[in-house]
Amino acid sequence: MFQRELAQTLIELIEGLQPPPDSGLVVTEAEIELPLESAGAIHGEELIFLADVPHSRWKAGFLPPVAMGKLRVLLDED
Amino acid sequence: MKGEGSFLVEDFINAITTQLDRVQDALRLKAVNRPLTYALKDIALDLQVFVEVDAQGNVRFRSSAANETGASTLRLGFTTITRPMIEENTISLAMTQSPHLEDLGLAEDEKRRLEQVGVRNAAQLQELRNSTDTKTVSRLTGIPLERLRNALSLGKPKVDQVVPEKPPATVPPVKPVRPLPSPLPKNPPVALPPTKVPPVFVPPKTPAPVVVAPGVKRLSLLGNNLVGGQGLPEVRLNDVPLSITEAEHDYLTVEMPEEPESGALEIFLPDGEQVTYQLSFEPETPAADGGDQESIGRSRWEASGKEEDYWSSDPDY
Repeated sequence: MFQRELAQTLIELIEGLQPPPDSGLVVTEAEIELPLESAGAIHGEELIFLADVPHSRWKAGFLPPVAMGKLRVLLDED
Repeated sequence: MKGEGSFLVEDFINAITTQLDRVQDALRLKAVNRPLTYALKDIALDLQVFVEVDAQGNVRFRSSAANETGASTLRLGFTTITRPMIEENTISLAMTQSPHLEDLGLAEDEKRRLEQVGVRNAAQLQELRNSTDTKTVSRLTGIPLERLRNALSLGKPKVDQVVPEKPPATVPPVKPVRPLPSPLPKNPPVALPPTKVPPVFVPPKTPAPVVVAPGVKRLSLLGNNLVGGQGLPEVRLNDVPLSITEAEHDYLTVEMPEEPESGALEIFLPDGEQVTYQLSFEPETPAADGGDQESIGRSRWEASGKEEDYWSSDPDY
């Protein structure tokens, strides 16, 4: 039903942390709780973990169950 | 991994770890062109899964599908760890190079029973035996003592052969190929009486002497299980330790000393066994017959520029 890998979802989410340009603000840390529709899929011989944000805010019997994900992102100062 | 949409726990966790590694790599790449970038510090996932056990006794997870009730919640937390933490919490790389349990002639169920006590390869089995004894391992795992002894003997480090590396290449003179003699006329087949082979005394197997050409810089030691948790073998020539330049589980390469002498090549294996070879050097072969003389003769008898001048028709001479 969905094909987005967890990595792709997370990269796009972290990308969204950028404050507006010229705002003078810097996000140094973020804690995000987000619902994820997840599943495992076999591509070739490899198990790929797929996870995407829910299709809809509504519950429906034909949509995959939603799992909660909690992540902490820090500004990399190296 | 196969099993009607269910996955082994370790495959499941590996799949998530791979995704998180990809995130870190992508963020690290972004840092090349951007002044500020982020790092994913930790992540926790609450997954809805059904836990199953397959016929081999492996625990498998199956993601909950749409409209399925009764799934278990699996809470997985991942965090970034530093290199010292990785080194502290994982087995050494040398351990992982050791042969797997299936290479030791163990059956699938025996292999699984050993894995349940943390033994995944020959080096770990050897280490467990060293810290307890074979009887205890047999009692804990339910594997017959004889099977364990066989597996342990197959997993022992051993050196089968010592092969000198070729010395620096010197191009030998090419000999003309002789024409083959004409085939012999075929004789009619003659029925021979059966010959009885007398019994031959077979001496006990001892390592063959190693004959090395002069100028050889390295020796390769071929064998099995040479790299394990107990460290590398020690190689000595005439009691002088030789440095190991390459080490794999089936071969070692050692550096010869600057001025090597014939003598005992002793290999001390990590399990305490010792193998000794008698190392000797081939005598240096003289140059090809007449080679030097021929060149001297040629320089003497070749017409030189001066001689040409002598017979020259130059009127000024």
